[in-house]
Amino acid sequence: MWTFNSLIGRMFALIFFPFRSLHPWFAMVFISFLTGLLMLFVFRLTSNQKGIRQVKDKIKAHLLELRLFKDSLPVTLKAQGQILKHNLKYISYSAKPMLVMIIPLLVILAQLNLWFGYEALRAGDTALVKVVLKKSVAPFEADVELEAPPGLAVETPPLRLVETGEVYWRIRAKKEGVHELRVKLAGQNVTKTVIVTAKPLARVCPMKSASLLDGLLFPGEKLIPSRTPLTFVEIIYPAKRLNLAGLGLHWLIPYLVLSVLFGFIFKRPFRVEI
Amino acid sequence: MKRKGLVFSALVLSIAALLSLSIPGQAYIGPGAGFAFLSSFLVLFLTFFLAIFSFLSWPFRFLLRLAKGRQAYKKALVDKVVIVGLDGLEPSLTEKFMAEGKLPHLARLKKEGSYARLQTTTPAISPVAWSSFMTGSEPSKHNIFDFLSRDPRTYLPALSSARIAGPKKTLSWGKYKIPLRKPEIRGFRKSVPFWKILGHAGIFSTVLRVPITFPPEKFAGHLLSGMCAPDLKGSQGTFAFYTTDKEKIKKKEGGVAISVEVIDGRIKTYISGPDNSLLKKPEELRLPLAIDLDKEKGEALLDWPGQRLRLKKGMFSPWVKLVFRPGLGMKVKAIAKFFVSAVEPHFEMYLTPLNIDPEKPALPISHPFIYSVYLSKLLGSFVTLGEANDTWALNEGALNEASFLELTYSNHHEWEAMLINALCKTKKGAVVCVFETTDSIQHMFWRYLDAGHPALKTTPSEMSSGIIEDLYKKMDDLVGRARQSLGPRSVLIVMSDHGFKSFRRGVNLNSWLYLNGYLSLKEGKKESEEWFKDVEWERTRAYALGLGGLYINQKGREAKGVVPAGEETKALKAELIGKLAGLRDSQTGEVSITEVYDRDKIYAGPYRENAPDLIIGYNQGYRASWDSVTGKVNGAVFEDNSKAWSGDHCIDPRYVPGVFFSNRKINRLSPSIMDIAPSVLQVFGLPVPAHMDGRPLLAAEEESPRKKGRKR
Repeated sequence: MWTFNSLIGRMFALIFFPFRSLHPWFAMVFISFLTGLLMLFVFRLTSNQKGIRQVKDKIKAHLLELRLFKDSLPVTLKAQGQILKHNLKYISYSAKPMLVMIIPLLVILAQLNLWFGYEALRAGDTALVKVVLKKSVAPFEADVELEAPPGLAVETPPLRLVETGEVYWRIRAKKEGVHELRVKLAGQNVTKTVIVTAKPLARVCPMKSASLLDGLLFPGEKLIPSRTPLTFVEIIYPAKRLNLAGLGLHWLIPYLVLSVLFGFIFKRPFRVEI
Repeated sequence: MKRKGLVFSALVLSIAALLSLSIPGQAYIGPGAGFAFLSSFLVLFLTFFLAIFSFLSWPFRFLLRLAKGRQAYKKALVDKVVIVGLDGLEPSLTEKFMAEGKLPHLARLKKEGSYARLQTTTPAISPVAWSSFMTGSEPSKHNIFDFLSRDPRTYLPALSSARIAGPKKTLSWGKYKIPLRKPEIRGFRKSVPFWKILGHAGIFSTVLRVPITFPPEKFAGHLLSGMCAPDLKGSQGTFAFYTTDKEKIKKKEGGVAISVEVIDGRIKTYISGPDNSLLKKPEELRLPLAIDLDKEKGEALLDWPGQRLRLKKGMFSPWVKLVFRPGLGMKVKAIAKFFVSAVEPHFEMYLTPLNIDPEKPALPISHPFIYSVYLSKLLGSFVTLGEANDTWALNEGALNEASFLELTYSNHHEWEAMLINALCKTKKGAVVCVFETTDSIQHMFWRYLDAGHPALKTTPSEMSSGIIEDLYKKMDDLVGRARQSLGPRSVLIVMSDHGFKSFRRGVNLNSWLYLNGYLSLKEGKKESEEWFKDVEWERTRAYALGLGGLYINQKGREAKGVVPAGEETKALKAELIGKLAGLRDSQTGEVSITEVYDRDKIYAGPYRENAPDLIIGYNQGYRASWDSVTGKVNGAVFEDNSKAWSGDHCIDPRYVPGVFFSNRKINRLSPSIMDIAPSVLQVFGLPVPAHMDGRPLLAAEEESPRKKGRKR
């Protein structure tokens, strides 16, 4: 899985390479554009284009019927029924491309989450490091230790929560770079990358986990080996927001709007019925 | 199969499980779903908005309708009137087939209601007759006297029903003239159709394909224009015929022949579009068309901007969209059908006239404008050209008989679907639909009923007289289906505007006028090309144009008129009537003209001055010759009609009455086409306007059911 994640990660790094020093909006517009085109392509290949065209025509016809026969209650009621019926059919026509798209899109979304979901630390910033131990390990008995590289400093002793099996430290970023924290437990070491940079766009993976699902959702680092007594290590980075006229937007919102918008803009030139 | 289903279900479940595990933000599964959900949400939102608006406003509209409706239907004897117009249905054939038990639905109508021969108009030509049908008045009140009228300033023909001209104001910009206003579309039919009067009274109508309804007029109802609605070129239908056979490249009436060449199995040609009116010097818009031939499979792969189409020999394509780009980002859309008739030894392909796309009409073809859009979305693309059935293509050999029939019935089915839809949607009011199928097929196949027809020797004859019988049966079946959808308080009228007779011999009136000294040719000429090119007007006293009109070259009216108005014109008319009525065919000895009608004696309306001075009533078997119609002059007065167009009705109206059927009794034996409009008004309880010449036919003795109810 790591090979796959690493390959995809490199692809995204390549795509975003020119945008690293630019405002994240540029990268967001670009990736939304690419996604819109990709989805149009997939939609065209996998959907029943003729069926969609026909059902949309029927919906439009019955919408026009509402206007043309506005004085006839039976006709307008029937038209509304027909609109709903054809709308369901329309949604059913979209189900196949939707199913086909779900998996690649999950992969894309997980990657985008690394680029747009979290703010990298800047020199001088602090962050919490959270380690969740396996249930078999008692937090107070475990000899868990956090070792920081020269670019980072561990500012606090570990804070252990017995009920949840969590251990917290606070770290401080001292200088820019890609640093590796080392969590030591029962003679085993687990490393976790910490990104410290002033660049507006960076790939930040907050979590390193032993779970396969987390590995899918946070594909920035290798999975923790299953024999290690840790469930995951997490750096609690500040959440990233895309600023639009003073509004801090979660990246999914502009991504949704822009990718759909690009899809609609390019559906005609690419002759895709959506 | 079962396993496949299980795998699919497992996949769906796994994906659903995967989604349920993901964080809420990631529940959005991408633009693909976004497309679908946004669109369907928009539709749902719009539907609910309209539904809520409709429900909230319903009480007010109900009250308003109640007030209006009560008034509208206060004296109505019926809820609904349905008129099925079968253009040219011939009474003698109808009666024969009914007697033979071949038309059960029409026979039932006759038995339970009424049947009569319907007097047509003078002249007995569809645009004239249908205009009288809708206005209830004689031709000089509605101003339609033929398909063509003449411009007295130029002696050239013009369409009698409408004129389309460029916009009055344009902005000059480089090579372009940008229209600042819409093109000027003027209808010349005068008087008021009955559906407009119904609309004023609050009675809704749906009017489908009635001739002379282009441009569509505003009224309280829906209308789709019929005969005389133009194609995208502005003509009454121009087909294209592509061929590699040089011998077949000649002038085609009603179409263009395009010579093509096969190079390495490929033909590079074009689709001829309308003139580019955006340019100061208009030039034809063209779409490049490439055709790859597969002789083994008998197929052609057609490729034009934006589309590819594989077409088997002998099959019509569905309606395809053609988009012309005149410039400045503008688009003009048309629909058309292709038909590859031969791949080898010669390639031959027919392209229908470029119909105005009903989904994006370049010209208004319906009222309201969105009505054609609605029909197109609901029922699919449909023929919008007024003269929908391409009789010229068969006449000129671009289509064979079987393919002409296929195309014609395909158009017919589109109209049937429109009628059935209108019947379902109209609970109260009027529905009028005219089918020209009957007219076109009889024009083109009548010779099979006439063993002595000259065209049987000259045109390919693949069919039999069964074609026309089959046509009548199909129309009978349509009547049956229409009747089924009606309730007890409905009136059904099935009618034709005129009948049909054989057209064996043509009479060239212009030649007769020339040979008898009424029309002169330029010095040294013994013949004239079409549209009177070689006529010496200063020495011409009379000329003929169109299917039945003869004009006096009158001083002060015609540009080069020589006959003074008043007594001299009267005398000349009397002289011509005397010589033409009873004119015998020198070859057969038969009388070719039975009656010549003087417009001053038969018309009394305000537009009489626009009518031909004399209207020729040809005998059965005769009609104006093809050359006479277009103003050609030669030495022969009579000629055989050797075209597939072998039946006609532009003769003495007494020989070509139409048919009238109704599910109600009528109050006279000899109704006229002008009686239908007043009859419709009468059954809806409305007064008949004084300008109408017709008189109500139906239910004059019946009493309003509401009144009856009150008495009880």
